[in-house]
Amino acid sequence: MKIVELKAGEMIQYCGELIVMRDAAQKKIREVLEFKDQLPFSLEGKIVFYAGPARKAAGSVIGAIGPTTSIRMDPFLEMLLKLGVKATIGKGKRNEYVKELSKKYSAVYFITSSGTATALSKKVVEAEIIAFPELGPEAIYRLEVKEFPLLVAIDSKGKSIYD
Amino acid sequence: MNNGDAMIKAEKIYTLVKKELVKANTIVNEPVRKEAEKYKGPFAEIILENMKIAQREGLPLCQDTGMVEFFVFLGHEVRLEEPLCKTFERAVRDIYTSQPYRCSVVADPLFGRKNTGDNTPVICHLFMIEGAQLEIRFLIKGGGSENLSALFMMRPSSNVEDLKEKILGHLKTFGVNACPPLHVGIGIGGTSEEALLLSKLALTKDFEERNHIEAYRILEEELLKEINALKLGYQGLGNGMSAYSVSVEYYPTHIATLPVALSVDCYLCRKGRFTVEDS
Repeated sequence: MKIVELKAGEMIQYCGELIVMRDAAQKKIREVLEFKDQLPFSLEGKIVFYAGPARKAAGSVIGAIGPTTSIRMDPFLEMLLKLGVKATIGKGKRNEYVKELSKKYSAVYFITSSGTATALSKKVVEAEIIAFPELGPEAIYRLEVKEFPLLVAIDSKGKSIYD
Repeated sequence: MNNGDAMIKAEKIYTLVKKELVKANTIVNEPVRKEAEKYKGPFAEIILENMKIAQREGLPLCQDTGMVEFFVFLGHEVRLEEPLCKTFERAVRDIYTSQPYRCSVVADPLFGRKNTGDNTPVICHLFMIEGAQLEIRFLIKGGGSENLSALFMMRPSSNVEDLKEKILGHLKTFGVNACPPLHVGIGIGGTSEEALLLSKLALTKDFEERNHIEAYRILEEELLKEINALKLGYQGLGNGMSAYSVSVEYYPTHIATLPVALSVDCYLCRKGRFTVEDS
């Protein structure tokens, strides 16, 4: 199943890679780009998960992790889509213009369950920090997840479950 | 107890606060669990699974383990060994650096936003009361629910319908972003900051605790019905309840003002309320 073909309201169990970032990391990416510097990682074809994990318990892959409020990330969305991001994951409604951006870039906005961070962390099989470790819980992580529950909130045609 | 000479040891407060913080972060309260068990929509399974694993393994229910807010009712006869906020901060620091929680506090809100690394400082509101008792309440609210807080400086000639319109309008637009079902706290009257504080105090109450003044009790009940009619639902998807409870607190106000404040707690409603007796 191609992500671009998913319809608003469909639910999937995703297996694969996610890139975790939130407010501070995206602000930093924008600064890097403004200085015309090279990002130390590629976002081409990636799925971005708006989140910041808790500290991990001994012996676990990652700490509790769950979606943060997506609407705060809206000012950075077009920047990510221009960098090749094909989908974002978070929680809650977004600004109206996100529907237009979804159409323009054939991108999908998923939601995943909020307030279930310990259960979600059990679906993460690999985790590593790939950039900005100085941001602590707001560093950029690369995750491998299995059977990660995602619901299409805005599809690539700009259709939203909130309408 | 020697009258007028009650001493509450810092160690005792510290130990109790630590225990309560762990409990609130890992064990969901019964009313929340019961409602979640009734919910049948998307993500229902993982919501219950999360509650089970968190309790069994001592892991946090949510990755956002909050900036901890304390509301203290301190009897005038109580003597303390140190300022309460110092005791609270020690408890928070020790718990948040030893447990798998998230430290979510940044030192400067505007410049740098560097994480303090131990989830301190805390927020502490102190209310002096009569007697030799110390009551501590706290809220562990994530940023998502905190961002929904609102203050409306309404016209003093406004009526109850005007107030409902403000509250319902705000929740209709932004409610899904705060992880419903919500506990809705409303503070009416006082001054601007007093109204906000009352709205937070309202969130420290139990769901079934109603305002003892009939007009406010009716307002709580009517608003609960009307908020549920907004169909925010679990995970903001329109299924199941939108709010567990509406709690209203009020205070006298100035002839020219009618401050109305709204605060919400997310569906996990992580909080505590306990009293500490002198040793």
